[in-house]
Amino acid sequence: MLRRTSAWVALALLSACSGGGTGGLPSPSATPSAPPNAAAAAPATIEIAQRVDALLDAEWKAAGVSPAKPATDAQFLRRAWLDLVGTLPSPEVVTSFLADPATDKRARAVDALLASPHFAERWAAYWEDVLLRDDVKGNLVDRAAFRAWLRARFAANTPWDHVVRELVGATGKSSPGGPARERRMAAQNAATEAEIDGVNGATNWLVQYRGGVEDLAGATARTFLGVQIQCAQCHDHKTEKWTTTDFRRFAAAFVRTRVKPVDEKEKGMARTFEVEDGKRGRPGKNATDEAREIATLAPAALDGTTLEGEAPRAELAAWITSTTNPWFGQALVNRVWGMLFGHGFVEPVDDLRPSNPPRAKAVLDALTADFVEHGYDLKRLLRTVCATRAYGLAAGPPAAEATFAAFAPRRLPAPVLLDAVLTATRLDPWIEDTLGERADALRAKMRERFRFVFDVDEDGARAEFDGTIPQALLLLNGPLVGYGSTALSGGALADVLGMPGGDAAKIEALYLRTLSRRPTAEEISRWVHFLDEAAAAPEEPVAPPSGPSPLGKIGKKRGWVAKTPRDRAYEDLFWALLDSSEFAFQH
Amino acid sequence: METQDTPVTIDRRRLLHAGLGGLGAWLAGRWITAPEARADEANVAPTKPRADACIVLWMNGGPSHVDTFDPKPGTKEAGPFRAIKTRAKGVSICEHLPRVAAEAQRLAILRGMTSREGSHERARQLGHTGHIPNPTVDHPALGAWVSARRGDPKAELPAFVSLGGPSAGGGFFGRAHGPFVVREPGRPPEDMAYGPGVSAARFDRRRAALAMLEDAFEQETQSAAVAERRAVFAQAARMMRSPAAAAFDVSSEPAAVREAYGDTAFGRGCLAARRLVEVGVPFVEVSLDGWDTHEDNFERTKRLMGVLDPAMSALLRDLAERGKLDRTLVVWMGEFGRTPRLNGRGGRDHHPAAWSAVLAGGGVRGGITLGATDAQGEKVVERPVPVADLFATITSALGLDPLETVSSPGGRPITLTDGGQVVREILL
Repeated sequence: MLRRTSAWVALALLSACSGGGTGGLPSPSATPSAPPNAAAAAPATIEIAQRVDALLDAEWKAAGVSPAKPATDAQFLRRAWLDLVGTLPSPEVVTSFLADPATDKRARAVDALLASPHFAERWAAYWEDVLLRDDVKGNLVDRAAFRAWLRARFAANTPWDHVVRELVGATGKSSPGGPARERRMAAQNAATEAEIDGVNGATNWLVQYRGGVEDLAGATARTFLGVQIQCAQCHDHKTEKWTTTDFRRFAAAFVRTRVKPVDEKEKGMARTFEVEDGKRGRPGKNATDEAREIATLAPAALDGTTLEGEAPRAELAAWITSTTNPWFGQALVNRVWGMLFGHGFVEPVDDLRPSNPPRAKAVLDALTADFVEHGYDLKRLLRTVCATRAYGLAAGPPAAEATFAAFAPRRLPAPVLLDAVLTATRLDPWIEDTLGERADALRAKMRERFRFVFDVDEDGARAEFDGTIPQALLLLNGPLVGYGSTALSGGALADVLGMPGGDAAKIEALYLRTLSRRPTAEEISRWVHFLDEAAAAPEEPVAPPSGPSPLGKIGKKRGWVAKTPRDRAYEDLFWALLDSSEFAFQH
Repeated sequence: METQDTPVTIDRRRLLHAGLGGLGAWLAGRWITAPEARADEANVAPTKPRADACIVLWMNGGPSHVDTFDPKPGTKEAGPFRAIKTRAKGVSICEHLPRVAAEAQRLAILRGMTSREGSHERARQLGHTGHIPNPTVDHPALGAWVSARRGDPKAELPAFVSLGGPSAGGGFFGRAHGPFVVREPGRPPEDMAYGPGVSAARFDRRRAALAMLEDAFEQETQSAAVAERRAVFAQAARMMRSPAAAAFDVSSEPAAVREAYGDTAFGRGCLAARRLVEVGVPFVEVSLDGWDTHEDNFERTKRLMGVLDPAMSALLRDLAERGKLDRTLVVWMGEFGRTPRLNGRGGRDHHPAAWSAVLAGGGVRGGITLGATDAQGEKVVERPVPVADLFATITSALGLDPLETVSSPGGRPITLTDGGQVVREILL
């Protein structure tokens, strides 16, 4: 059986390749997919980015705000890596980027990231989180198949309208079946699983709403159009024009959709469903009164367009993605801008009603027009946004953030932070080497725990608990940062301690590894002072770190190389860097 | 043989009449001592805060009202459950809540709860914040209001604790006022002990190192999010070293006490809730999941009541015996009720139009029901109580001002409760 190399291992290797660094593990995905110099920013993208700059400049003048100073190269690189591929650049990537004198190096870095397989992985993860509800019970939904479907779409840069048509109109088998645990683990880990013949992963999006046509309709309008039609489910909308009838006729487009189990329900096995459209709406015997009512109505789109042909669901998909649909392009542009800046033109990003007007509307309109005109090209949109002056600004006064005149620091999403910790500490290859096959199970466990503690919901629909005490406790005392910051043989800190050179070189290596920048002279002198003081402090009894957690057991096997009080002070320094806000924030 | 008693209910108008004597006085007098005086007080005098703490027993999924606190024996869809008499005169509840029935003299059962939110997410939001979900306003949960208004920023334990359930967040009050979620109720929270190879002294040194980084980054970014994160880290460190944190752990309780609450996550959660309230935590939510009984309603509801019955009754009795019940408001509720009509799978679907909530303790008049549903439990026919009114009542009992208005970050005036009226009939 092939040993699965996880995405972040591959990513570390990818970055090692461009910097000529530390690689060594063979991996088929280690080769960067774009040659470093092949991709120069398309001039057309520069033009639209410049138009956005001009429009934002006018916004700033009108609002009387002056933009923050430009971000440094190091800040820009880290920002783009975290946004586009969801992890940290390696120290080698950072130093070679800083040394590069070319004026177009930012655009080239963005292009290389967009071409990387990890772009598809990160965006598939984001959209899985948006599209699949957390509370789907049991083995109903095959997240791995869904993720594989998404990954293939982002890797191919499938136009967004195609993606949505494929989703809304999906038919076919939802899963290859098999042990549910394996399917869950494949989904939890940044899997390399490809799409499977005869399975249409997209159908899982429909499967999760089995028997809940109202929820499906609400999610469709909200996610793809930014229209909160579900409010009209229970009462005519208070401030908007939607009525309960509008909602029900919209939902009626889904009533023929059947989600039929292909297999017998069996404990521990993933379910497989066949999604198809019947001849007419046939609410099941468990249907709610509302669903029965919906089944009697003629399906219609939100502008009243009737959908009375043979396949109302496909017609609805066509209506949603039509170039004349004013919401469709806007909803995606607003969401993507929101992902990159921390807040969209409209907030929440999926609520584009007239009474919730956008900030910097002219920019939203210009980007939307360009997005529609260029065939819903997601990578073009990202390339444009990353090329704007606003994306390249440093943090600034909170008042400037509202008009994007300063970059608003924000917490990293949980999976991204977890990957950042694993990358910076090099815990991951370490786990992989020691545990082999069982590494996946441990990673899945860590992810699950991280997910619970952080509960970051990128759709913003549920309560957010990130930044709360359990998260602080996990970072302060938990095994991940605890063992990750320990000088265990083969880990990142042990390597740094073994480097030739003095404190300044070691401190710089730790900064590059965690904060993706060089420390200032002042920072170095402070830390040298910290190390000196710790080394002079009365010696405490020293016990090798160990504990019942799986990481503790690995640590014991690996061996502890912090020999002196100064080495242990380095552990404290590394720990502080990993727990710092500068590490945990996108900024 | 048990039969259902005449519905015993009060409503505001009856109480008004009660003050004038006549039939109203007789009705009210059946179970209220000194009806005249009470009636006046209930309608005129402002409510005095009675409770220092609140424990919410959240029945996640939406508990069937007709199978729990609003039984309809003898009706076609009632199913196999019978109603039993309780210690409160004239009040019957489901036979599978016998221990709760024995504490019914402490309960005010609201049988006229009603809302329009039929989806879990929206109803959960409404039931936790008192406001209909509004995409433009991130409403804080009730626990967050308590934390913001009553929480001591220097307290060692969080003011808002959720045992076993996610609850709802701090909303525009920020994450610091959101719930401290304990995944395994009754056990110490995870990661409370020092990490591998770390002593108390070394932990201090690490935090000093961290502070150096945080000072610089906070100054550079001027970010409120960074300041907030630092505050949360400081609170976490305080909690780690607090002796009061032992309240999370029920293992030190005598076996008999633990048994009384039931050997379940919810039972341990209720016991931990009592312990947390005793050490000064003002708001604790304990979650019991599984009430979304679209299929096999009776079997599942019966099993859930088997968990609920010992835990809830032991909590009420224990608090009372320790002299804490008078100052602790206990609330039992979920998202909505369930359809009296059974669906094809022996299940009941969502029913926001009519449901029940139960209040007890701090400031609540016990042994009564308020409001009524029709013969099937479909509609509220007497003294409907919208969620806003329930929230006005709870907040008022907790000494918060239900009409307090704050400005949301978007600049909109937001009141603590959504125009609710205090349900004075059930308050002392």
